[in-house]
Amino acid sequence: MDYLRNIMGAPQGGVQPTGAETVERLVDRTQSSTLLDDRRDAVRGLKALSKKYRLEVGTQAMDCLTKVLETDRGDAEIMGLALDTLCNVMSDEPTEEEDLNPVNEMNGDLGANFTEIYIKNPENVSLLLSLLEEYDFHVRWPTVKLLTILLTNKGKGIQECILVSPMGVSKLMDLLSDSREIIRNDALLLLIQLTKGNANIQKIVAFENAFERLLDIIQDEGNSDGGIVVEDCLLLLLNLLKNNSSNQNFFKEGSYIQKITPYFDLNSDPQRSQGGWSAQKVTNLHLMLQLVRTMVSPNNAQQQTTSCQKSLNYCGLLQKLCSILMASGVPADVLTETINTVSEAIRGNPTNQEYFASVLAPSNPPRPAIVVLLMSMVNEKQPFVLRCAVLYCFQSFLYKNEVGQSQIVQTLLPTTADVNTITAGQLLCGGLFSSDSLSNWFAAVAMLHAILENRTQKEQLLRVQLATSLGNPPVSLLQQCCNILAQGGKLQTRIGLLMLMCGWLSDCSIAVTHFLSNTANVPFLISQVSASEGDEQELLVQGLCAFLLGICMLYNDDQSDTFTKASLKQVIENRIGLETFNDKLSQILKNESYTRAAKKPNLHYKQSSEVIFDYAFTRIFKTLENEVLKSVSYDENSPDHKKKLASLKEHESIVDQYKEFIKEQDARLNAANQELESVRSTHTETLKQIEELKNTVQQLKDQNALLKVQKGARGSPSLPDSTTDDTTSLLSKDIENLKSELNDKNKQIDKLKNDLTQAEVQILSQENGDEDKENNPNEAAVVQATLQKMNTDLERSLADRDNEIARLQDLLQGCKKEVEQIRSQQSQGNNVTTDGDSQQKLQSLTEELQKITEEKASLQDRVTKSNEENLKTLDKIRKLETEKEEILVEKRNVDEELDVLKKEQDDLLVLLADQEAKIDKYKTMLKNLGQDVKDDDDDDLDLDDDDDDEGGD
Amino acid sequence: MSYAYLFKYIIIGDTGVGKSCLLLQFTDKRFQPVHDLTIGVEFGARMITIDGKQIKLQIWDTAGQESFRSITRSYYRGAAGALLVYDITRRDTFNHLTTWLEDARQHSNSNMVIMLIGNKSDLEARREVKKEEGEAFAREHGLIFMETSAKTAANVEEAFINTAKEIYQKIQDGVFDINNEANGIKIGPQHSPANANLTSPGGGGSQGGGCC
Repeated sequence: MDYLRNIMGAPQGGVQPTGAETVERLVDRTQSSTLLDDRRDAVRGLKALSKKYRLEVGTQAMDCLTKVLETDRGDAEIMGLALDTLCNVMSDEPTEEEDLNPVNEMNGDLGANFTEIYIKNPENVSLLLSLLEEYDFHVRWPTVKLLTILLTNKGKGIQECILVSPMGVSKLMDLLSDSREIIRNDALLLLIQLTKGNANIQKIVAFENAFERLLDIIQDEGNSDGGIVVEDCLLLLLNLLKNNSSNQNFFKEGSYIQKITPYFDLNSDPQRSQGGWSAQKVTNLHLMLQLVRTMVSPNNAQQQTTSCQKSLNYCGLLQKLCSILMASGVPADVLTETINTVSEAIRGNPTNQEYFASVLAPSNPPRPAIVVLLMSMVNEKQPFVLRCAVLYCFQSFLYKNEVGQSQIVQTLLPTTADVNTITAGQLLCGGLFSSDSLSNWFAAVAMLHAILENRTQKEQLLRVQLATSLGNPPVSLLQQCCNILAQGGKLQTRIGLLMLMCGWLSDCSIAVTHFLSNTANVPFLISQVSASEGDEQELLVQGLCAFLLGICMLYNDDQSDTFTKASLKQVIENRIGLETFNDKLSQILKNESYTRAAKKPNLHYKQSSEVIFDYAFTRIFKTLENEVLKSVSYDENSPDHKKKLASLKEHESIVDQYKEFIKEQDARLNAANQELESVRSTHTETLKQIEELKNTVQQLKDQNALLKVQKGARGSPSLPDSTTDDTTSLLSKDIENLKSELNDKNKQIDKLKNDLTQAEVQILSQENGDEDKENNPNEAAVVQATLQKMNTDLERSLADRDNEIARLQDLLQGCKKEVEQIRSQQSQGNNVTTDGDSQQKLQSLTEELQKITEEKASLQDRVTKSNEENLKTLDKIRKLETEKEEILVEKRNVDEELDVLKKEQDDLLVLLADQEAKIDKYKTMLKNLGQDVKDDDDDDLDLDDDDDDEGGD
Repeated sequence: MSYAYLFKYIIIGDTGVGKSCLLLQFTDKRFQPVHDLTIGVEFGARMITIDGKQIKLQIWDTAGQESFRSITRSYYRGAAGALLVYDITRRDTFNHLTTWLEDARQHSNSNMVIMLIGNKSDLEARREVKKEEGEAFAREHGLIFMETSAKTAANVEEAFINTAKEIYQKIQDGVFDINNEANGIKIGPQHSPANANLTSPGGGGSQGGGCC
């Protein structure tokens, strides 16, 4: 100290040395002196001057001080002095002594410059970090302070140095475990600076158990009742978590959310009864709430926020926050921040939203917390930030919450309105039409959120009717909004109402129709949009009116007679002009308050005059603005339209692709149809064939039957017929009949023969008895002629029969052929359709045919036999004729016997006629059976008739 | 949510060997085929059961790139276990193991359990490093060894759990000082002696006592 005094005292004697000179001498001494004591004193001197002559010490002494730190590690005192000196040089913090020192003010960024020089050599930072290993308080403490100052001045540079140096962060973290509180507390300040804006360092700090240690310190310090250390810990926690998803995940996974829950336990708070919150407690609680908000911020990743919200509910933190919300004596700014925190804790989380809706305020009667909060929102006496927070809370409650939205709208509907209790709906309506423009705005935005992206509620809200003054009919809420809008009023009122209506009418054609049904509304909007004058704020109203008009067009389903889509478009074109319309619309985007509102969902206004736009509205505007412009300027040749055309072309190409595809499918379908058609036709053909075959079979059967009948008529009797078939039995019956008739004929022929022999005998006896009597040659000639005629007749009829039999045989042959053909066809037809029945029938028919052929053969035999007999009789008749010629002369004598003969002849003729009649009958019978060879038969019949006639003569 | 022990792991190894995929497969049971470069360090956590005890694993997945090496070094000290990963289809990643191991030994506490992992065992056709080589390297340096596939999840679970078993065994053997959290081990709330007195008697307090 003597030495120092000498130096300091020197100026008193002679020339006053400048500060710079003194510093120079001290630096020289520090560097050159071999004695530790000397060096120590010199450094002490530097330290003493370092505040007053900061620039000089900084420029000249930095190197030598660093040298001291390197070489004199053994002496804690000199180390401490050197570090202190460096601190003084680097620090921009004004100290008590030099509060009014103008020099310092001049060198505002001196610290930063010195810091920059100092860290140019990264070794210097490593040196400082290594000094932290020194346990000595005189070394460690100033080192911490120096590092903090360095970080404050040049955060980024030092952060890099610390990251690069091995275990740098770990060494700093170890300071938190220092038993000396002052070092621990200053280490907190150091870490706050260290973790600012460097995610890598934040993660390492978290890895080094920072959460655990910090939460322990906070707990030890008494949570929110703790002092500034708690505040510092919370600041550090916020640094570690803000925008660091990895650390947030770690915080959540480490179950630290549970550990911060007691922070919000105000029930055991002794100060509450005393009615006072210390400023520190307010600050602490503020930071604690921000800590929660960091975890559930809407700016975080959705997944992260959702899981944290779940944890908040799970560990009861949300419940604690809600109880603060409803507690009395909570300072307004804490309450505001609590509301904001609750907002983000419930935003978009159905479970938490549901819980929030169930919270009741401890009033009498108990009211839902939502209602109590809304009361504050529309109360102009409440602090502005609090009212903003309530709106944010209300919005968060309704965000993606259709149930909540419907609950709120329900309270507005006439059916459920209860006069005695205050409902959210009443408060909103009250706010909407109160004289306070800010309340109007809040209520309008709140109502907008109750119907946001929810068409059902938009339509429900249309039902709301308001009772106006006594005696007047009720007016709809939408119309009342229009009325108030038309009355002018303050900016916030009009903007709020316009935003509500834009949101209401968007994507809800019914609301548009409702709006258009009052013919005064559109002219009002047009007058607003076409107005040319107005300041910046007025331009906003005009822009919103233009937007509303555009929405009326966009969501117009042409249900309104007066204003259809097309007519609105014309009105905009003619009355406003597209240029003006576009210009007015773009005014909104240009506005600064729009950009600010579009940034974040939470409201961050500082004063009420800033309140213009709502976040949700900016999103509606952003999505619909383009569509509105497009629909308004649709048929123009604007670049917009061209773009649309381009996209249309694109669409067309896509459509073409699909068309091609459809064509292909069509072709395939056609092919399949054709195939089906052909298959069907073949099917019908085969059916036809079967039908034909059946018919042929039937015909054949018929023919067979006919043949049988005919054969029966000509052939021999008693043909065994075993077929069970009806037709066959019929045929066999006919054959039976024919047989019996043939028998009859045979008998008659026999009788005729007998008669003939009798006549011969008589003739012979006459020849013997009275030859002379036979003198009448004429009569004998007549008899002969008649006989001859008879014979020829018989011969003819026999020949006829033979012919007929031959013809029938031909027919039978034809039938056989047909049957054969049918058989072959049947076998071919089997491939197309199997018709076992017809085949079977055919089989049976063929069998029948076979039988019939056999019968026919036997019949033919009989016929030939009978023919032979006939021939024999003919021979006999010829013999008789020759005998007759011989005895002709004798015959002339026997006239009387001839008469008798004549008579007998007549009888025979009668019999023959009978026979012919019978044959006739058979022919008609055949006719009835429908034989196709009828004509021939008829001819035959006619011929027979002729014969008969001749015979009759 | 409660656990008997908490172990901190780090995953280290060259870039692109599949460290992040191993973690994702272990925590989320899914595979991300697109290589997304890890920036610095990412965090993941999962609960496992060993010997009937719930053990919470907190895992820090580090960036393999050289530029992040100084950052990732900061994680060695506080970790109880390390998964040193190489890619069996890339010989160079195997060759770098010595460097990694030196780095790890230098900065970590001497008791840190290191598991050597040859990843991408599903790509047998492209294999460049034989399983035997990995085994030999592990034997030589006193590591546990396994071949895994983050893609098919083969051995992934085992790799993490076997490491935990080894740490658990070391705790049982009294090798670890479990009261020093810098070792990357923490006793769960119901196991710490301080809380054991406050809450239910019993628990794992006796084990903790043995290590002090």
